[in-house]
Amino acid sequence: MDATILLLLLQDGVVNGAIYALIALSLVLVFTVTRVILIPQGEFVAYGALTLASLEAGTLPGTVPLLLGLGACAFLADCAEARHNLDGRALLRFGLRDLALPGVVAVIAWLLAPTKPGLPVEILLTLVIVTPMGGFLHAVAFRPLAHASVLVLLIASVGVHLALTGLGLVFFGAEGSRTPPLSEASFPAGPLLVSGQSLWMIGLTLAIIVALWLFFSRTLLGKALIATAVNRLGARLMGIAPSLAGRLSFSVAAFIGALSGVLIAPLTTVYYDTGFLIGLKGFVAAIIGGLASYPAAAAAALLVGIIESVASFEASAFKEVIVFMAIIPVLLWRSLRSAPVEDEE
Amino acid sequence: MPTRLLAGLGALLIVALPFIPGVPPFWLTLLTYAGLSAIVVTGLVVLTGVAGITSFGQAMFVGISAYATALLTTTGGLSPWLSLPVALLLSAAAAWVTGAITLRLSGHYLPLGTIAWNISFFYVLGNTDALGRYDGLTGLPPISVLGHPVLGGAEALLLTWGFLALSLWLTHRLLRSRTGRAIRALKGGVVAAESFGVDTARVKIVAFVYAAMLAALSGWLYAHIQRAINPTPFGINAGIEYLLMAVIGGAGSIWGGVFGAVLVTVLKDQLQNVLPLVFGAQGNFEAIVFGVLLVLMLQRAPDGLWPLVVRRSVAPPPDRGPASHPLAPRPACAPGTVLLEASHLRKTFGGLVAVNDIGFQVSAGEVVALIGPNGAGKSTTFNLVTGVARLSAGAVRLGGRDVAGLPARRIARLGCARTFQHVKLVAGMSVIENVALGAHLRGSAGPFRGALGLDAAEEAALFAEADRQLARVGLSACRDLPAGSLALGQQRIVEIARALCLGPTLLLLDEPAAGLRHQEKQALGDLLRRLRQEGLGILLVEHDMDFVMGLADRLVVMNFGAKLCEGAPATVRRDPAVVEAYLGSAA
Amino acid sequence: MRRIVWALALAGTVLAGPVMAQQPIKIGVTIAKTGPAASLGIPQANTVTLLPTEVAGQKIEWIVLDDASDTTKGVANARKLASDDKVDAIVGSSVTPVSLALIEVAAEAKVPMISLAASAKIVAPMDDKRRWVFKAPQNDALMAEAIAAHMAKAGVKSVGFIGFNDAYGDGWLSEITPRLEAKGIKLAATERYARTDTSVTGQVLKVIAAKPDAVLIAGSGTPAALPQKTLKERGYAGKYYQTHGVANADFLRVGGKDVDGTVLPAGPLLVAEQLPESNPVRKVALDYTKAYEAKFGAGSLATFGGHAYDAQVLLANAIPVALKTAKPGTPEFRAALRDALEGLKEVVYTHGVVAMTPTDHVGQDDRARVMVTIENGRWKLMPATN
Repeated sequence: MDATILLLLLQDGVVNGAIYALIALSLVLVFTVTRVILIPQGEFVAYGALTLASLEAGTLPGTVPLLLGLGACAFLADCAEARHNLDGRALLRFGLRDLALPGVVAVIAWLLAPTKPGLPVEILLTLVIVTPMGGFLHAVAFRPLAHASVLVLLIASVGVHLALTGLGLVFFGAEGSRTPPLSEASFPAGPLLVSGQSLWMIGLTLAIIVALWLFFSRTLLGKALIATAVNRLGARLMGIAPSLAGRLSFSVAAFIGALSGVLIAPLTTVYYDTGFLIGLKGFVAAIIGGLASYPAAAAAALLVGIIESVASFEASAFKEVIVFMAIIPVLLWRSLRSAPVEDEE
Repeated sequence: MPTRLLAGLGALLIVALPFIPGVPPFWLTLLTYAGLSAIVVTGLVVLTGVAGITSFGQAMFVGISAYATALLTTTGGLSPWLSLPVALLLSAAAAWVTGAITLRLSGHYLPLGTIAWNISFFYVLGNTDALGRYDGLTGLPPISVLGHPVLGGAEALLLTWGFLALSLWLTHRLLRSRTGRAIRALKGGVVAAESFGVDTARVKIVAFVYAAMLAALSGWLYAHIQRAINPTPFGINAGIEYLLMAVIGGAGSIWGGVFGAVLVTVLKDQLQNVLPLVFGAQGNFEAIVFGVLLVLMLQRAPDGLWPLVVRRSVAPPPDRGPASHPLAPRPACAPGTVLLEASHLRKTFGGLVAVNDIGFQVSAGEVVALIGPNGAGKSTTFNLVTGVARLSAGAVRLGGRDVAGLPARRIARLGCARTFQHVKLVAGMSVIENVALGAHLRGSAGPFRGALGLDAAEEAALFAEADRQLARVGLSACRDLPAGSLALGQQRIVEIARALCLGPTLLLLDEPAAGLRHQEKQALGDLLRRLRQEGLGILLVEHDMDFVMGLADRLVVMNFGAKLCEGAPATVRRDPAVVEAYLGSAA
Repeated sequence: MRRIVWALALAGTVLAGPVMAQQPIKIGVTIAKTGPAASLGIPQANTVTLLPTEVAGQKIEWIVLDDASDTTKGVANARKLASDDKVDAIVGSSVTPVSLALIEVAAEAKVPMISLAASAKIVAPMDDKRRWVFKAPQNDALMAEAIAAHMAKAGVKSVGFIGFNDAYGDGWLSEITPRLEAKGIKLAATERYARTDTSVTGQVLKVIAAKPDAVLIAGSGTPAALPQKTLKERGYAGKYYQTHGVANADFLRVGGKDVDGTVLPAGPLLVAEQLPESNPVRKVALDYTKAYEAKFGAGSLATFGGHAYDAQVLLANAIPVALKTAKPGTPEFRAALRDALEGLKEVVYTHGVVAMTPTDHVGQDDRARVMVTIENGRWKLMPATN
């Protein structure tokens, strides 16, 4: 392997790592607020990419009826949750959020899709279709489990993942799709050719990290989310409803997922089941970051991306073996550093 | 309905099923697969439900065994019965090695570690020529029972469920044994288990290896019933599915595991039959509906569905009758012998000094009380003496032996038993078993003797001792209740019984009187006085001044991590520094 | 009232039973409608809905089960079909590993089985168990032979291989290696990737570093486009070969202009309308194409679906023969059906012309493959080279 190839591999690793980082960030966010390990995060990525590809082809994506269906389920779940003090105002609020919002999105998508309104509008449309799904899923699947153990939440997460992957197959079929790049430009940098798309990718990842940091350290809502993560009872006493925090974190995760999908769709072919494996790599990064630290998770994601890229050059048949065996020493090191004096309960 | 009756009915149903006319033959096949999964899930219940170690990697051990037996019986020409022990041992060895590395991982790192192993295993299988790469190995011989080959249908069902019954029986025994109590104690906290001499790292490995061996048994059966194997059934998806079965059924009991395995297997099959009638043949809705049902079931029953079937209760441990060889009491030390000598203890957390230059002695036949305001460093001192926390500086001598740096379980061996400020009992285990855990070091039976039931005499002796100590603290009436159902004060007393079961020479009690009513406090005081008379040395941390003053021979007063003064209660009461720092505000 | 309706319906069913002329022939299908091989299984499942429900005056019932590309599930399905539905034949599965495991079930239940997967290992070497097993798709060997021959003729001296890290990639690698050797072509690099990998840059760099004259990509469906697009991106200028696994419209859609000029072997179905009128396959293949696209949309055809159709063609030719000796639903009928399948001669289906023998349960010859190239995003039949 010479220096040029190494540079190329590093470049590839960084771009892939950026996707994993985006997923890892969402996983950390959702876990700290709700203790849910969000396996379906990968599905948001696939939904984002495939919804955009559908719009690109001028057809109404299957995610639109799904959005309507999920909204209706969320409406029922909200009513059930608030059944003891369900009044007109609550009904109106739920109706606006769970029924009217997806309805408006669906109508816009239905009107615009056949006209092929151009990439920026299509991306915007993709984001507004996928993002609300996060909150709806939280209301339907996870809010009723708010007090369950992490293991039970994890298995529920597997259930949601199975359902969403199955729906993806129904909506988008077994074959994959690609979309045109956000930017056709490319810049020579020494031996490398840096594509505009990969710059978008890395830039947006950095932007999201900064945005999350600002959100959590500077805004009241962000601080409220952290408070919920640290102490659920305390947060409730301070007037922060954990269910609201959960809903918000899920929506942010869905937004980041859809955005990741939009970003990778031009770089690679995305399938209905692409989400699982990249989700798993993001999960690896999130865990190495202790499911708590955003910078550590992002760094770990880059590391995973680079190991993967080099491994696929050196021994492609054993790529996954190399990646997953390489993380075991890292896990050991992290375990030793975080060795608890008292019991973890 | 009692679990035992249900189990009997279930067994009867399985045996009778092939002979009931009208039962579709495929049900036998389906239940065979359910049985195969149930064997793996039984191991997972021990590992995840009981020991609290979440593993996604069980499919790997199924695969190791399946491939081992496939190689041995095809190219090696061995009979499956001969390859079984090899397959089991190979999986056990693999579990030992991976466990030794992985089980060091804490928290969320551990499940991820098991995922990493399983994914790597899959790709290694797929890229190894000797293992047939992704196409796998075919043409395995069937298992012969009494010269009759087991090809499928009723025979495979009975063979599989026979092995499942054996696995359940062994597991049931194991969990009730001395090792089993140690495994179950992991849920009550590693610290408590270690303080009674349990080597928790080793116990975790035992649970890991045991689960792997059950997985191996299932893999061996699978390979010879299927007679063709490839990497797919041993990938991470299978690993996730086993865990899913355990959780949905109820990982807290082995019956929950079996229930989960049968439920998931049957449900997936039935969805394939029913959904096309609802949605037409063109859809692929099974995964979707299964996922949705899974979430709904967990929402209704977060502890799994089995506890809804049977009323959740803790089965009392079997009555083992009178002990033929009661445990010999530890020889008492002559009154006045120095048992514990702590000098210049120091503990810092980062820049914060929690304990600073503390020193005191406890002799046989005396009660020493460690008092001081909240945050004075009393519990930390306790932890330093018992090896739970590591000394920054200073020395601890127990019975004249330097124990600084020894782990808690080694210090327990020297006859030092303790209770905890925050009660650390296994809530779901009966009181008597919690107490018997205290006698862990006074028995020696390992997992094999336990699972095979060769530990009856020793168990009888341990339980006789536990009963004796429970009677001594006056809680015999609560013997068979789950420990978590007792009032907090009572739980503290159970902890004392557990500590006494160790047969200690030195007893360390962390706030034993907290939460007790007046009469109970008196009874506790009487008990401690009796123990003192028997020659025990007692060190206690307590806030209840009346209780302390009437009981202790000497007081050690701490404030802000440092020793304020030491002496007889009457002397300390008059010490101006103490009055100002502590008693003044309290009295 | 409702109870009476039920009773009547029930009575009707009971009475109708014996009235029916004969029990229908049941064919069980287990294919990968979901899971990693869904791109093969879905067109196959679609095809089953087009299949005739009557052959030689005999009702045929198709029972389709999904095995999700999973061995355990495939075997369970086959057992269910054999023991409960008492099918007269099993069709499936879509991939090699599952098909290999099904052999055991077919032989044990003595049900003829027609696999829809690629590897020759499914039907060879012929033994007591494989007696019951037939196969509709071309052997990888037949296709590999064609690629090697094309490469030799085009003056290719060294080849880089990028294949799926699964049974499909394995099958191709093991078939192409000896054939390249025989032609004196060097295999300069062998790289593997996974279907859902988001990047194959590492593999591509390795292949380019080996400077091969041509690259063979062994993947199926749209995932096979990724290495080719990455190679183009990195400026690889050699020849591109793909396998018949890519033969569907989605590959062209995703591959776009990057896959123009690619050469691949395929079943004649892929370019049916370009076949000469004299080719007997043309009519059968066009009929199937028309029927499929009428129901599932223009351009929706995938050659994988054709294999399911071909399995039906084989059965439809064998059933009348078997009916002469035994009644459907009996072990005798299944044995007769097996014998009849083995005795098929000059049967035309969408992927060629078949003549089975006791040792060859695929029965294809050169007519089962054509060389195809991609021109302006369309499949183009290449003139026969020999």
